[in-house]
Amino acid sequence: MKIFIYNIGYFLLEAKRTIRLNPLSNLFSVIGTGLILFLLGMVLAGWSVGDKLIVALKDEAEVSAYFMENTNEKDALKLVNAIKGMEGVMDASYIDETEAKAQMEKMLGNEADILGLFDENPFEAFIEVKINLDYMDQVLSDVAKLDGIDYVRDNRKVLEQMKGISDGLKLFGVLIMAAVGITTLIIISHMIRQGIYNNRDQINTLRLLGAPDGFIGFPFLLAGTFLTLLGGGLAAGLLILLLNEGYSHLSGFIPFIPLPSLEELSDKVSLLILLVSAALGLLGSLFGVSSIGKEE
Amino acid sequence: MIEAKGVSLTYHDGTVALKDVNIEVKPGELVYITGHSGSGKTSLLKLLIGMEYPTSGSLKILGQPIKRGKARKIRKLRKKIGPVFQEFKLIEGRTALENVMMGMRFLGISPRKMKTEAISALTKVGLEHKIRSKVENLSWGESQRVAIARAVARKPELILADEPTGNLDHDNAINILQILNSFRDNNTAVVITTHATHLIENQEDATYIRVNKGEITIEHSSEKIV
Ligand SMILES: Nc1ncnc2c1ncn2[C@@H]1O[C@H](COP(=O)(O)OP(=O)(O)OP(=O)(O)O)[C@@H](O)[C@H]1O
Ligand SMILES: [Mg+2]
Repeated sequence: MKIFIYNIGYFLLEAKRTIRLNPLSNLFSVIGTGLILFLLGMVLAGWSVGDKLIVALKDEAEVSAYFMENTNEKDALKLVNAIKGMEGVMDASYIDETEAKAQMEKMLGNEADILGLFDENPFEAFIEVKINLDYMDQVLSDVAKLDGIDYVRDNRKVLEQMKGISDGLKLFGVLIMAAVGITTLIIISHMIRQGIYNNRDQINTLRLLGAPDGFIGFPFLLAGTFLTLLGGGLAAGLLILLLNEGYSHLSGFIPFIPLPSLEELSDKVSLLILLVSAALGLLGSLFGVSSIGKEE
Repeated sequence: MIEAKGVSLTYHDGTVALKDVNIEVKPGELVYITGHSGSGKTSLLKLLIGMEYPTSGSLKILGQPIKRGKARKIRKLRKKIGPVFQEFKLIEGRTALENVMMGMRFLGISPRKMKTEAISALTKVGLEHKIRSKVENLSWGESQRVAIARAVARKPELILADEPTGNLDHDNAINILQILNSFRDNNTAVVITTHATHLIENQEDATYIRVNKGEITIEHSSEKIV
């Protein structure tokens, strides 16, 4: 420990020297890890969006109950109250024709113009029942049995499909993460090995003078971790650019997808990337430094 | 300090460098190793610093057995040894001062003390004006003296100098030998190989090890017949 403190300045200078010894190759390593970590960042961002989506979808579980013909508004309100009392129902509200149209317009966003093709309002009034997803089946059959209800529709298929897609993407993400981790470790440990090879004479001399492996290896550990962090910084920068760009395009297109806020997402993901790159850098350098290995 | 019993060294290619070497060196001893080129002087020093292991026999340095499987302990042992390599093994791209300090950094000496002692060692070998010169720009003899300064600045218990006078003029050679001798004290033994037999004759209280094709003969100066 004392030796470590006495030599902090030396370790930093040595780390700088090793990096400078092979600047081009190290630059490529930084760019390489940067791009790979960028990929990781995209996966993380995708996850973040997906998670938010799943939470939002849970709240989106709803049943639409349509009336028999000739149901007047008073009966309709009675039905609403009946439904409100059912188990698993969080809310129920009467949506008349105009409101139904307005909802659709909102959902379509920029594409709402197509509704103008209709002469008359093509929507009918219905009861919008917000439910707990777990009670979907029961609520469906209970509501369908009510007098005055013609038929019910649910959005479970859509919800389940989206959840399936999100689960699939998660698995894909895990695979990418594993690939990114391994690739980064390989790049970094190779870079460190290269540095150690370039310094083999010096390392050998230090050994003959009795320097412990920790002392010999520490500058390489510093250099490797620093360069990986640099790659992480590059990745985070690219990602923030991409997110900014993406958000400015997306938000107009699909207004009904609940995206996390841009700041929250880019802060979270770039911090994660930096942490991951620090960890991978340290680990990769440790692998690399272990190639100082045994002397015989 | 050094206990060698029946030590032999055969290199991988079958070259027999040393045969049945028996030596005992005590603290405070001054030992000169002489012999023709290729006789095995460097090989003997390599054994003493654990760069090679005896093919047979037993060797202990400062109590530490030199044998396979002891690499860690041998590495620790080396902190107590001040080696001067025949080919110097200075670290290029650094100044003379940095080279000397490089040998001290992991000994637990405070940075300030390390610097003062490194400078003082360089001054002793007459290089105070070259402290800030990169070692690759130094002359052969100057490099040799940096190597010596690096070895002695560590305040080792055992100084192992391989041909420290090899590239020096007569005056400087005598000077270097004197400097190395001056580190010999009750705790420190000094082992020097040299071709310059004329410079080391008739020294008081020295041990002479003569190597001939891997076999050694030992004389002490008190019993030396010149
Ligand atoms: N690594 C090695 N592998 C094989 N043979 C070696 C090796 N090192 C030295 N030798 C041989 O061992 C013998 C002794 O060599 P060594 O270097 O010990 O001689 P020396 O007495 O130091 O010579 P010089 O005075 O020229 O420095 C020589 O024949 C040499 O060629
Ligand atoms: Mg030799």
